[in-house]
Amino acid sequence: MGRIGTRAAAACVGALVALVALVALTACGGGAGSTGSTGATGTTQPDAALAVALQFPPRAAYAFDADDGARLMTLGVAETLTTVDDRVQPAPMLATGWEQTADPRTWRFTLREGVTFHDGTPLTADAVVTALSHVAGVTSPPRAIRGIGFRIAADGPGAVLITTAEPDPVVPLRMSSGNLGILAPSAYAAGGQPTVLRTATGPYVLDAVNGTDSAVLVRNDSYWGERAGAATVTVRYVTDPQSRALALQSGDVQFAEGLPGASLDQLRSAGADVVEYPAARTVELLLNQSAPPFADIRVRQAVTAAIDRPVLASQVLGGAAAPASDLFGAAVPWGATSPPSGADVERAKALLAEAGHGPADPLTVRLWTFPNRPEMPVLATAIQSMLGRAGITVDVQVGDYAAREPEILAGRYDMFLNSRSYLSDYADATSTLTSDYTCGGSYNIDQYCSPAYDALIDRLPGITDPAQRQALFAEAARMLTDEVVGVMVVHPLNTAATNGATGFVADPLSAKPVLPGLTRTG
Amino acid sequence: MSALLRRLAPLPFVLLAASVLVFALPRLTGVDVPRAVLRARTADAVPDPEVQARVAAEFGLNDSAVVQYLRWLGAALRGDLGFSFVTRQPVAEVVGDGLAVSGVLTVLALGLAASIGVPAGVYAASRPGGLLDRGLSAAGIVGVSVPEFVLAPWLVLVLAVGLGVVPAVGWGGPQHVVLPVLTLAAYPGALAAQLVRAETVEVLGRDHVRLARAKGLSPGRVLWRHGARLATTSVTSLSAMVVAGLLGGSVVVEVVFGIPGLGRGLYDAVLAQDLPVIQAATLAVVVVAVSAGAVVEVLALVLDPVARNREESR
Amino acid sequence: MRAWLGGIAAALLLVVAPLALPDPVATDFGAILAPPSAEHLLGTDQVGRDVLARLVVGARLTLGTTLLTVLVTGVVGIAVGLAAGYRAGPVGGLVLRFVDLLAALPIVLFGLLATLVLGPGLGSLLAAVWLVGWTPFARQTYQLTVAEAGREYVEGAVALGAGTARVLGVHVLRNIAPALVAHACLRFAGTLLTVSGLSFLGLGVQPPTPEWGAMVAEGREFVFAAPHLVLAPSLAVVLVAGAATALGRRLG
Repeated sequence: MGRIGTRAAAACVGALVALVALVALTACGGGAGSTGSTGATGTTQPDAALAVALQFPPRAAYAFDADDGARLMTLGVAETLTTVDDRVQPAPMLATGWEQTADPRTWRFTLREGVTFHDGTPLTADAVVTALSHVAGVTSPPRAIRGIGFRIAADGPGAVLITTAEPDPVVPLRMSSGNLGILAPSAYAAGGQPTVLRTATGPYVLDAVNGTDSAVLVRNDSYWGERAGAATVTVRYVTDPQSRALALQSGDVQFAEGLPGASLDQLRSAGADVVEYPAARTVELLLNQSAPPFADIRVRQAVTAAIDRPVLASQVLGGAAAPASDLFGAAVPWGATSPPSGADVERAKALLAEAGHGPADPLTVRLWTFPNRPEMPVLATAIQSMLGRAGITVDVQVGDYAAREPEILAGRYDMFLNSRSYLSDYADATSTLTSDYTCGGSYNIDQYCSPAYDALIDRLPGITDPAQRQALFAEAARMLTDEVVGVMVVHPLNTAATNGATGFVADPLSAKPVLPGLTRTG
Repeated sequence: MSALLRRLAPLPFVLLAASVLVFALPRLTGVDVPRAVLRARTADAVPDPEVQARVAAEFGLNDSAVVQYLRWLGAALRGDLGFSFVTRQPVAEVVGDGLAVSGVLTVLALGLAASIGVPAGVYAASRPGGLLDRGLSAAGIVGVSVPEFVLAPWLVLVLAVGLGVVPAVGWGGPQHVVLPVLTLAAYPGALAAQLVRAETVEVLGRDHVRLARAKGLSPGRVLWRHGARLATTSVTSLSAMVVAGLLGGSVVVEVVFGIPGLGRGLYDAVLAQDLPVIQAATLAVVVVAVSAGAVVEVLALVLDPVARNREESR
Repeated sequence: MRAWLGGIAAALLLVVAPLALPDPVATDFGAILAPPSAEHLLGTDQVGRDVLARLVVGARLTLGTTLLTVLVTGVVGIAVGLAAGYRAGPVGGLVLRFVDLLAALPIVLFGLLATLVLGPGLGSLLAAVWLVGWTPFARQTYQLTVAEAGREYVEGAVALGAGTARVLGVHVLRNIAPALVAHACLRFAGTLLTVSGLSFLGLGVQPPTPEWGAMVAEGREFVFAAPHLVLAPSLAVVLVAGAATALGRRLG
């Protein structure tokens, strides 16, 4: 019997020793992990090979009617008629100019001259018509051109005419959507899904693909614009954030995006250049206005007052997000930049008492969220605790979104913590403002219905001037904040890091190519 | 070999039952398939009923369940496993590629686990209470207790970042196989060592072994002929169980190391309700697991003369 | 004797200790991811909750559900394995193939199905694990029963007129029990890992209920920055698994 006790004890000691040794080794390993030069110093090597780790693999074998078209754009392989500039207005890409014709439902796009596809054929109006007609005719066309009566026709060899059912001021912005990339006519010849190898126009040629695992890009030496920064690029799709950080640290890749907040200091001390920049994404706490208790605006205001958003952003999420004061935030020019105030628990309690939920009749609500993004359950727990201090008992349920969506859309929930990317396909907020908040919106989870708001949104189709449109977006956001349509919690920040490369330009809208600017250093 | 054939005879019935199960289970979750597929394909937050209806018609989802099942079964028997809802690639290709990758990992991991676990267990049993025994106990306990997603990042940090001997991510060469196989082999290896040790100790205490020793057989020979053989049957039977787990269930390792294996493919398919892939991949795993079970049983007959006698006397 | 005393002491500690420790669900946003200190012996997690308190309170849930799972799946699996192994042949083989079939189906599928029927939470996690968790026991029992059933003492017992139940229950079971118990103790750790893995995927206990597997899953993000979050529950699992293995050897 003594032997058994000794053996169990020995086993335990052995296990402890093994774990401690492992931790000690990793401590040494972490220190020795600095490899290679920093991003800024060192000479650039434009003919070297580059390796990068990206977070989203192609969902559907680079199909354009899945969001894989946008991937091809980020890679610098495919190009669209227009792109967006820093003021979120359309800028030339494969089209150099555009104007509304006499018939306001038609826009005329002048094509850039001297552009050839990677297979050698020239960019002509017919090629553009083939490409865009194909993508408009599939079962599930990209959101940018869905439901607007999209038609395209050539207008001579160097221009195309795009017509919509109603006059539409944002057609040039729609054409910047990554899913509207233009491929050579040979890509569409076989029918079915177009081939993407060596058929696009961008600074990199897609030379080889290996499923959702990796891809190889080769510099396009006959590109019409600025030369790409590396001779070849090996793209690795790594879905696990920690693994991306480790790949960067070990020198397997020179660029990685979407790094976990907990790894950033480690990467910096290993010599990497880390960049954090805003993203067009909001974590929002949706409150069901169609039923008690959240039909009462005072209860909604109480919830807003009880949640300490600066603390959530800087402490609970460790600085990986910015506190949100409106729907949009710093990623776009029309978003609010001043941070929200902290919590005012006393005010929350007072409001609750006024609404009839004082200490004698405390409120109990359910909070639903999903685990696919790691910050959601953590935020739900923190919000549960904050609301608890104001006297609201919160019952958290973390579950698969797909299983719960019908209930949520039907308005059978209390609170729902959602992560919303609010620029759905192209850099215009109209579609989100319409689908999420108008009385007939198909994604109006808050169950919000205000004729004044609908009237505001109805003005948008008639306004062409980008600055005026953006002012309207800001006004709509202010209205939503004033009427407490849900609580905008935080804006998660994007992260990217280089370790042995330079040339990364942060793009909050994720609308411009990332890879062509990168060059190997050291 | 008639023993093997006898054991493989029920395979068609099992496969039929499996086909009904894998067809019914995803549909029982009640998740709307067109919506899930579209969300997997396009990150579409906003539902679009018109497009969903078109997709449902395209996939034949409006027919009754029985009709859909018979249609799928008929096509599968002709060798046509259909196209993935999400990627539109042929399912046979998707499952085949994934199976090859996971198969390589499984075989290597089990091989490593057996070649280290079995001898370790036997040696530990031969010197109970000794230093080796205690050390192996400790290592074994750690091996079965540490989750893969804890072991994997630490292995990466030590071997890839710290020592730089293997790459951190990627797939395609022998160097990419080292870390995932090490991670996958930890649990089966530790399990094997523990089980082998327990069985060997028990067998060594049996009368016929003591008799052999008394007759003058050397300890080494006794160990290997009698103890190891019986212990190995336990290990091989457990291997069959572990095979299924490794083939379809090593999602975490495949995600962490970025490996295009069947586990991750199946997981993604389940989340996206990609029915053809779910059905085909699960069936593939079932076929391999059931066949492995049959093979293992025959191996046990080869190794254990007592069981062989019983088999032959039937 | 010492082992039993130790076990009783541990059980008492689990019941009494929470009274002396901080509230396991109380958050403290000023002390997030704090390393071990005098105030928080095992540090705090991402929302400032005391890790030691969560470990102790979580022990009840984790150990209780794991124990229950091993018992339920063990009983079912051994019963099936005994029956199939003793009457080995076409029927026994068919049963074994069905066991393999059930074991091969991915647990994620069962987890999602259970979540829909029973709602997310511990109940659906247990339902999923119980549905397939008995298969390893069934398989091992089958193998061992087949090996044992050919032995002389079994033939002797049958010749003496013993019924099947008596032969199985008394003779066969007694002889294969040591290996089964050893396996059960190992399944304990394996079940813990399965629960942890499913929690990793979002099934299982709901926040803020503490549970060891969920704690490991939550702490994974900080495995380098704040290793105590993962080390504490992992070490707890290791210690429990070690004790279970030692117990298995004692009984075996």
